[in-house]
Formats: sequence, structure tokens, C-alpha cells
Amino acid sequence: MKKICIILSLGVAVYGFSRCNKSEAFPAAGYDDRLSGGSFTVLDASTHAFTQAISGLTDRQQVVHNIGDGTFDQVFVAAPAPHFGGLGPIMNNIACVNCHRNDGGGFPTTGSSNSGMLMRISIPGMDPYGGPLAAPGFGVQIQDQALLGTVPEASTSISYTDLPVTYPDGTTVTLRNPSYSLTNPYIALPAGYLLSPRLAPRLVGEGLLENIPESTILSFVDAGDQNGDGITGKANYVYDSYTKKTELGRFGLKANTPTLLMQVATAYQQDMGVTSYAQPVESCFGQSQMNQVGPADTDPELADSLLNYVTFYVQTLAVPARRNVNDSTNVRGLALFNQINCSGCHRQTMYTGVNPAINLSSQRIHPYTDLLLHDMGSNLADGRPDYLATGSEWRTTALWGLGLLQTTNGGTGYYLHDGRARTVEEAILWHDGEAAKAKQGFMQLSQTDRAALLQFLGSL
Amino acid sequence: MRRIFFSSAILYTLALGACSKSSNSGGSTESFTSTESDVITAFVNTTGLPQYDSLVVTGKALNAAITTLNTTNTDANLAVAQAAWRSMRTVWERCEGFLIGPVEAYDYDPNSDTWPTDYHQMDSLLASTNTLTVTDVQNLPQTLRGYHPIEYLIFGVGGTRTASQLDTKKMQYLVSLSADLLNNDVEPLLNSWISAPVNYSQSILTSGKGSAVYTTRQAFFLDIVGDNGMAGICNEVGEQDQDGKMYNPYITKDSSLTESPYSGNSLIDFKNNIIGLQQVYMGLNGGKGLKDLVVAKNTSLDNQIQTAITSAVNSFDNISGSNNERYEEAIFDKRTQILQTITQLNALQSLLENDLTTFIKTYVQD
Repeated sequence: MKKICIILSLGVAVYGFSRCNKSEAFPAAGYDDRLSGGSFTVLDASTHAFTQAISGLTDRQQVVHNIGDGTFDQVFVAAPAPHFGGLGPIMNNIACVNCHRNDGGGFPTTGSSNSGMLMRISIPGMDPYGGPLAAPGFGVQIQDQALLGTVPEASTSISYTDLPVTYPDGTTVTLRNPSYSLTNPYIALPAGYLLSPRLAPRLVGEGLLENIPESTILSFVDAGDQNGDGITGKANYVYDSYTKKTELGRFGLKANTPTLLMQVATAYQQDMGVTSYAQPVESCFGQSQMNQVGPADTDPELADSLLNYVTFYVQTLAVPARRNVNDSTNVRGLALFNQINCSGCHRQTMYTGVNPAINLSSQRIHPYTDLLLHDMGSNLADGRPDYLATGSEWRTTALWGLGLLQTTNGGTGYYLHDGRARTVEEAILWHDGEAAKAKQGFMQLSQTDRAALLQFLGSL
Repeated sequence: MRRIFFSSAILYTLALGACSKSSNSGGSTESFTSTESDVITAFVNTTGLPQYDSLVVTGKALNAAITTLNTTNTDANLAVAQAAWRSMRTVWERCEGFLIGPVEAYDYDPNSDTWPTDYHQMDSLLASTNTLTVTDVQNLPQTLRGYHPIEYLIFGVGGTRTASQLDTKKMQYLVSLSADLLNNDVEPLLNSWISAPVNYSQSILTSGKGSAVYTTRQAFFLDIVGDNGMAGICNEVGEQDQDGKMYNPYITKDSSLTESPYSGNSLIDFKNNIIGLQQVYMGLNGGKGLKDLVVAKNTSLDNQIQTAITSAVNSFDNISGSNNERYEEAIFDKRTQILQTITQLNALQSLLENDLTTFIKTYVQD
């Protein structure tokens, strides 16, 4: 009897300690499903849903956020100018907000102040750090606008053809299949150049994505598809020209940028021709018509503090809360989302690390991404490798805020890396490669279930 | 026991009755809903549309004045063009009291009212052999289009422009700029409110009744009060940081940071912005405004808002003073008055963002 008591006591103790080791101290039911960004969530479904600061900023941090906000909206002009000079000489736009409309996505046009898309370019091969090999005379991005006295590197011609897709139930959706070509290059384009269209993405929750532990992201990798679901996932490792280190890529449509600082600095440099301490060399440096940009022209055009403030602004943008989470159709939509394994890449829930600089404690968030690269099939392929990303691989887009994109974009939404999809349904139908099974699963659903899944996505 | 229950019920009824009393009666739910619809209809028909209509009228007047100036280049005609520009600015700045819908979604605001101007590029453009047709201008960056390049050309730096300084190239640019502003911004803006495919008036009028933009009436009212509407313009003018139209030139003592530096119209612009939000609140042309909603439920809040708006609007006159001083000079010698106005704008913004927003969330339930 004594032995039995001892064994039982030990059993209870072991069970008790094992419970203590559970990392999820609270059951999922104890969380509010609306809080997509944890404490970084904002209850705002208006046209400004993507522009809200996280709560809890100190007075000083709020000032920094606000200055970053103002600089993000600020148009830059040609030097010499008393304020915000340094634009160009070649660029894609004149202000961050012109592409990231209301901090949301851009319009899939190129070459004007209202455009939100640009073209990356390279030639076959890799640079010394494993990145895209710059096209001689053009670099890694086509700047399609220029100050007077210079001409744009080239213009982009975009055309679409109809591509009907028919569901098993007979419903037909017509996709638009884009075609891109460069026109009016300022010098001859190199042979065999590679192009990749990139639509400006929405910015919500970027500060949270930056603070997901690397180990979490890597835990999503399923090299060799061990679980047999057709999804592997691959991390991109990219060179950070500021830290001079190779790091995990998190940002950009091919996860080719490691930090938000570099994302912001590179956007100023490449998209607007505005240099900074993190990207001190003009994008056109060394090009034939850019002789006025001499070696001495390496003084940062954007003040160090302003680069830091804009970065902080992006880091501290809140995530809009989900709407109608208990609506029965949305609940069913979520179940279907998991059932057909959309969640294999668009992972629902994870935890952030801690970052006191932006008041971030470990947060339970629902970004619906794994931040990994996936083969999306030949129809979406750009054929242009970017570090470890092949020509058909793209980083899983975070879906939080998806349902508010039309609201923030004046009633129109554009999806996927080049905005070819005009609805979320079209975007799903473009999925292929590792996502082929999920797309087929979607297409096999009844009309009612497809609608439920789309309604769920609209609640994000 | 039954008696106790009965007494409790009476007390409960009395308590509920007392709770339902705010600072005034508020009327029935049905009549309040009717007021909500009336205010929405009035906003479209007596505030929004007439304002955009006036914008087109003043845009045509400016275009005509510039055409005349181009034909007969005299200082008198230049003065007419300058006056026409100021008239159009008055209407436009008041329209900024409701920056909802197409004006931002389709870039009519940034295409026409981006500042500072890129005067280095403007000078390069004027010195170049580039053609300057309306199409050419339409394809220029936003910093080379709209109100402020026109302002630069017809007023000049420091407002010293004379007709004789307007050479052929400047005149060509000016003519195309005003045509671009009329044809590609203000006329399409009005059309976007009255006709397909956008027909934004209809989106507003059907708020809560099938509108894809405003699925509820509350959503519309929150938009018109929020960042795109009254509170937004209040913030744009009064914000105490680099973004603040008033604060930034004030704190840096830099007149080149003002909105309309060539004409010296900045202070009038600011005041008209706040008058714009006042018109949304009070209603225009005899129509209802948001005040009709508020007064139906909370006269105290209505009084606070009206007082704060009036006080803020009037405070601009303390800056300009009896000699109509421009903001470009006032930042140096009317600093106390400027700070007072900014403080009043901050208080008004708080009232709109907090009290009025809470009011709408509480009472506009659909």
C-alpha cells in the first residue's frame, strides 16, 4: 500500500510539472480572436484602418511616430531646396504614401505620382553576396521617372489578357493575365535581362513581423516535405549592406530584405533617389547619363533621424482588429481555410519576441503567414531569382488587414505581387505550385462554402 | 414578497426612466433615425455637392482669367487672375473639411494641392525646351501641378510678380496648369460625386441602405467626423509637430514652410479649413448639419462644439490683426496668438475625436 501511495504521488508530481512546462499557459479560448496583432491591435475599420499607431506609446515615442508619419507623407523635391530636397535624379515616385496609399497597397500602374508598382531588373547570375546581378546601366530596379535634364531609365508597358477559370460546379471567373515589357530605355537593355513587377504592399503589422523569433520562422520549414502536404517552405538569407552580414530575409515580396530599417532606406534610395546613412549611394551611381552624381555625392539626403523616425513609424503601425469573429459563416470560413490547408503557408497564430524599443512584449498574433518562400507555380513566376528565392518562389503574404484593403484604397483592391488579381477570389485562383492542393480544395467547395471562406478572409 | 417585487419594479422603471434622460429629451428613436437620414441627405445636397459645384465655377473663373491674361498681358489682368486664384482657394480649402471619398481615393487632392512646390524643377522646366501642353503638365509630378505652381507663376516669390515678367514660356505653363486643374481635377471630382461609375453621392445617400462604402449610417458619420473629415482637417492645421501646417513654420520660424508662401494666403487657407469643418457641422445653404443630430440628444455637447468651432475660427483674426498680417510674417511677431489658435484647434480636435465620436457610436445605432 505504501508503494502504491509513493507511485501515485510521483505520478501526480510528474503530471504537475509537465503541466508547468506547457508554453501556452492560457487556453486559446481565453484570447480575444479579434486581436490579430495582440496588444498592437486597433479597433478601426475605416479608410484609415492601416494608419493608426499602436497604443501605449510614450509621449516621446508618439512624437517620433508622428514625425515619421509626416515624413512618410512628405513629397521630396529636387535639390537644391531648403526642405526635403534630394529627390532623384531618377526615381519611381516622390513620396512614400503615393505608393502605399493610406499605408495600404498601391495601384498596379507605373510611371506617375499615382502609381504603386515598379519593376526590378537583373541579368542571369549572382552578385558577390548571392543577390541579383545588376543589369549594366540599370542596376536592380527600373526607375521610370526622372528630374528634368535626365530621362527615365525606361517605361513599362502593361497589358492584360483574359484567362477564364471554371469551377467544377460550372461557375466561371475571368482572371487577367499580365504581360510586361520595357519601352524607351535610355540605353540599350542588356541581353537576357530578367524583370520582376512589385506592387507596393500594405504596411500593417510590420513591426510585429520583425519581432517574430527567427527560430519560430525556421520551425515552419518543412524541407523535403516530411509531412507530405505538398508544402515545404524555405527561408531566404540575404545580405544586409549596412550591417555587412547575411541575415534571414523577412520583408519584400521575396523576403529579400532583413530589417525594416533596410526596407525603408532602400525604398528611399531606389524608389525616390533619396540617400541615407543606411543606403548612401545613389541608385544611378556610375550610370552614363548620371554624370552629375559624382563620387562626392554621397552625403545622405535624408537626415539620419528622419530615416530612424520613418522606420519607427512603420514599426509602430497597428493591426486592425478582425470583425464579426463569431459570425457563424466566418467561423465556418475559418474551418474551411484550415481544412483545405491554406493555413499550411498562411499560418494563423504565433508569438512575437520582446522589443522594448517599440513597447513590444511577447504577443500572441494572427498574421496568417509563415514568412517563408514557396513555389507558387509557373503562372505567378517572374523567373528572376532573388538571393535564395527562385524565379517561381514568393514569400507568403500576411493576410491581416486583407478585408480592409478595398476600404483603405478607395473601393478598389489589388492583390498578389503585381496586383493582377482584382479580388481575393482571383488571387486564390492564381495560386499553384505548393499551393495547388489548397487551390483545388477551394475550387471543389460548394458555392456556399467558397463564399464562407471568402467572407472569413474579408473579416481579417 | 409580491409587494416587494412590485415596488422593485416601480423603482427599476423609474431608474431606467431617469437614465434615459440626458441633457434634453432627444425624442423617439424613430424621429432620431429620421434625423440621421435628413442630415446625411443634407450633407450631400446642401453642403458637399454645392461646394464641389462652386469649386468648378471658381475653377472656370480662374481658367478664364488666365486665358484673358495670356491674351492681354497686363497688370490689371494679372490682378484679376490673382483674385480668381484666391477665390478658388477659399472654396477648395473649405472643401477640405470633408476629404472623404474620391478626392483622396482618386488623388484629386494630391494632384492639385501638393506643397511645397519643386521650384528648382519649375525653373528648370521653364528654362527648358520641353513642350508644356495640358497633356505634358498632366504627366508632371504632383509638385509641378495644381494650385501652388499656379500661385508661383502669378504671384512670384514674395508676391512681387508683374505681368511683364510672364514671358511666353511661363504663360504657356500657366495656361496649361489652370486647364489641367479644371479638366483633370475639379471637374472629375464633381463628376465622381454625381455620375457613374463612382457616383459617391449615392454611396453616401444609401448609407446603411445597401451602400458598399458605408454599410451603416454610423460608418458614414464616423468618416465625416474622423481622420478624413472634421477631426482630420483640424489635425492637419493644428497638429503640434512637423506635419502641422501652422506649427512647423512657427516652431522653425521658416516662412518657406507655409502652405501658400507666394500669395501670402496661408492664414486665410487655415481659417477656411476650419470654416469647412464648421459648415459640415452646422450645415450649409439652410440644410441640416451634424449639429441637428447632436442637439437632439445632448445640447451641452452641441454647445461645447459650436463654441469651440466659433472660437477657433475667430482666433485666426487675432493673428492677422487689424493690418491683415500674413502668416509668413506672423510667425515672427504674433507667436502668442499663433500658439493660442493652435491650442484651440487641439481642444476642438479632442472634442471631435472623443466626445463627438463617442456620441455617434452611442446614438447612431443601425
